[in-house]
Amino acid sequence: MMNLTKQIREQAKKLLEEKKVDLVIGFGQGTELARTTPVFIDSPEGVSALTWGPFCANNLAKYLIDYKNAPGNVAVVVKGCDSRSVIRLLDDNQISRDKIVVIGVPCAGQLEWQKVADEIKPDAALKETVDNGDSFVVKTSTGDHTFNKKDYMLHRCLVCENPNPVIADFTIGEELPVKNYAERFAEVEELEQLGLEEKSAYWDKQFSRCLRCYACRNVCSVCTCALCVFDQMKPMWVSKRTNLSENTVFHITRAFHVAGRCVDCGECDRVCPMDIPIRKLNQKIHKDLKDLFDSPTPGSKQGLLSALGEFSLGDPEEFM
Amino acid sequence: MKAKIVNKGQLSGLLDKLAKDYDLVAPVKEETITLFKKISSAQDAFLDYTNSDVSPKGCFLPQSEKIFSYTYTGDSLEIVKPESAKKTVLFGARPCDIKAITTLDPVFEGEKFGDEFYSSKRENTVIIGLSCSKVLSTCFCYAFGGGPCDGTGSDLLFTEIGDKYYVEINTDKGQALVDANSQFFSSENTDQLAKDKEELAKKLAGEFVKKVDLTGVKELLDSDFELAYWDEDPYKKCIGCGTCTYVCPTCHCFDIFDFTTGDITGDRIRCWDSCMYPEYTLMAGGHNPRPTRKERIRNRFMHKLKYHLDRYNMVGCVGCGRCIRKCPVNIDITKIINDLKEVAQNA
Amino acid sequence: MPNPTALTPYPVTITKIVDETSDVKTFTVEFDDPEIMENFGNKPGQVCMLSVFGEGESTISITSSPTRGKFLEFTVKRVGRLTEVLHQMEVGQKFGVRGPYGNWFPYEAMKGKDLFFVGGGFALAPIRSLIDFALSDQYRSDYGRVEVLYGARSVDDMCFKGDLAERWPKLHNTGIYTTIDRPQDDWKGHVGFVPNYVEEVAPSPKNKVAIIAGPPIMIKFTLPVFAKLGFKDEQIITTLEMRMKCCLGKCGRCNIGSKFVCVDGPVFSQAELKGMPKEY
Repeated sequence: MMNLTKQIREQAKKLLEEKKVDLVIGFGQGTELARTTPVFIDSPEGVSALTWGPFCANNLAKYLIDYKNAPGNVAVVVKGCDSRSVIRLLDDNQISRDKIVVIGVPCAGQLEWQKVADEIKPDAALKETVDNGDSFVVKTSTGDHTFNKKDYMLHRCLVCENPNPVIADFTIGEELPVKNYAERFAEVEELEQLGLEEKSAYWDKQFSRCLRCYACRNVCSVCTCALCVFDQMKPMWVSKRTNLSENTVFHITRAFHVAGRCVDCGECDRVCPMDIPIRKLNQKIHKDLKDLFDSPTPGSKQGLLSALGEFSLGDPEEFM
Repeated sequence: MKAKIVNKGQLSGLLDKLAKDYDLVAPVKEETITLFKKISSAQDAFLDYTNSDVSPKGCFLPQSEKIFSYTYTGDSLEIVKPESAKKTVLFGARPCDIKAITTLDPVFEGEKFGDEFYSSKRENTVIIGLSCSKVLSTCFCYAFGGGPCDGTGSDLLFTEIGDKYYVEINTDKGQALVDANSQFFSSENTDQLAKDKEELAKKLAGEFVKKVDLTGVKELLDSDFELAYWDEDPYKKCIGCGTCTYVCPTCHCFDIFDFTTGDITGDRIRCWDSCMYPEYTLMAGGHNPRPTRKERIRNRFMHKLKYHLDRYNMVGCVGCGRCIRKCPVNIDITKIINDLKEVAQNA
Repeated sequence: MPNPTALTPYPVTITKIVDETSDVKTFTVEFDDPEIMENFGNKPGQVCMLSVFGEGESTISITSSPTRGKFLEFTVKRVGRLTEVLHQMEVGQKFGVRGPYGNWFPYEAMKGKDLFFVGGGFALAPIRSLIDFALSDQYRSDYGRVEVLYGARSVDDMCFKGDLAERWPKLHNTGIYTTIDRPQDDWKGHVGFVPNYVEEVAPSPKNKVAIIAGPPIMIKFTLPVFAKLGFKDEQIITTLEMRMKCCLGKCGRCNIGSKFVCVDGPVFSQAELKGMPKEY
């Protein structure tokens, strides 16, 4: 992991020195041992702030939109899932290919920082992280800790489809094999078994916790509307009040608004302060898209039109 | 200051009685989340927690509340106000969250105008605090004069020591509750427990991980609004969600809107709002004094560290650390404070 | 005693509507309960929250001086949902009012001085209360010369035409200067932007207070003119607008630095503004 960190820094430094980009967006050490934070490096000397490891859960692709009108080019460090966002943003015409440089890093999985932090002395300093195949070894100033991936990785990493970025101008490190620890749609299938009332009760319980902070919407790389329908005043579709009815409208509407474009990066799940399993909604739609249209995950290849945004005259029309 | 003891075995009896006599609000666990809710029996309370995910400020400033109902035709108007607050006990709030409520008091009760909704809840609620037994890596209440066993603002403060709770009675309201439920409060000698509590406070004080130093920060913020610091992080990484403001126990911004319930009837509702949203300060003509995330981030931190202090002589942060835990991009107020301190030193 | 602490408005009935321009109307209202007006105690410069139930509330300055009678006048521009509905209302209909909120023009400190008012477009409304206050029978002798310089985009955009053309010029020791941005056939008066007209009129700063209200761009270019003419920061008063919801200093959004426009404003002197962040 240290080696990869070094390589990322070198690549970023080169791009900045050669003025190929004005800015590199990457991961930097956060304020906790097990966290990173997005960093914005605009000088070759600043690249020492960049880091890499199993605490780099953020999807940095969406920040590219902030710089789409900036005069220079921007580089971004992406994992496999993030790179699907980059493709989706390109296909949505939110950013242009010639203004971005993609530094792709094959990713062996990301750990849930809260679970890791619970087991490490809080004032320990991070020395190194090592990928041991089925586990990560986190070396700290107060000792080494091993975290097996199956129990400590983010849920979405257990069913990772693209450990290697699907778009990259530069790839850092070796490509990794696909390795799944769970069935991709196991949780969706579990919910599908439930009866209507049970399903409804399940989601009522989840949505009643929603604070309507909109972290899920703001972090989503395909939620890019200039004026979100939920911010509109005229007409006011939902108010700022949290109640089950409006919360449900928000979540289900958003899931449908991104349907067919959601790249399943799982950020919505990660950022929710109330641990609402938002991704299950999107996964259900992904499963349906696979079952009905044999559609690959959006963003996994450039030029894939969104399954719900394309039609051909040969499409079946059973219900018309 | 008087003190009593509640044996651990008696706590559920006390909570069950309080749940009968009052609206009892206590921490509950819903899957992985701890929040404060009204409970009907002691078994619903979840006390094995460090701090809740959402603060108990909702007891006094609910996420949404009805200000009044109206029937309005343009030619006639009728307004019906809601009932006043019920008698409530807030049990199990941590010292930082209780201190936060005291920072909200001057906003709602100390400005030129009062607030009947907040005041009636405040008057009708007995706050029973619960000292911390553990410090999280994100806690820093000490930086603002608080502490894990600090009773400021609580009517009663319970501290868990061994198989007992050491109960400090801090106000008349607290005394009245003890008197009305005396069967649960033992009058054994509390001298040893008082000493044990001091030991606990000392022990916990040594466990803070975050080192926060406010030296020079207020003066720096007073002197220069256009610090170059705000042009860098943290605004670039901020995604503009409202998470920090909604989990924060001292944030008090709200929105007011009308919700129609029929052709001529409706409710006027007050609900939480966030200064991180772009439309927070958007004016009807389209002008926005805080048009980008930079202005909004600067405003949030200046409010916490300067504006609240200027207006009410109390810092706007209590060091609960929730914003640090919940921020999707790890924006950390303690880092910002320490960064500003460095800027002040280098100036 | 009406309780200004409540978020609950009092019903008022519209007694008169004046169409100032195609999108500006002045509403004269009276409280259904006369005791409320008796004890209202509004001072020039203060604002109220107008409630159109179903749409919400809006902060509008009281444009009438308390010396003019037991009513309130609000001049409302049609800019959004609420004002749209308000503009469709008729005499005899009701809406809600709560207030008075905010600080007021320092009319005590202005005593003995000449007053020079500058207003642009619809923004003459917030300072009109002070103009009428100073020109009232009750207080006229407390103030010296009262001058009003007013500019609008065109004749059709001019508000308070009656006051500017007839009522005020007839009163003792007043000077009225009106201008429009570009020449028009039916306009024989001055043509030019407000800041330039102020420079032309060149009021002397001696024993004078300047009170300015207008769109941000007009204020931006007018303030330097007064500075050039020798006015000190303490001699220039303005009134600000911000998005407001509670008007009670609680909802947090109208702050400029540590001050709330709804409680510490909306009236500020240029000297005060210089000590506040430029975030308005």
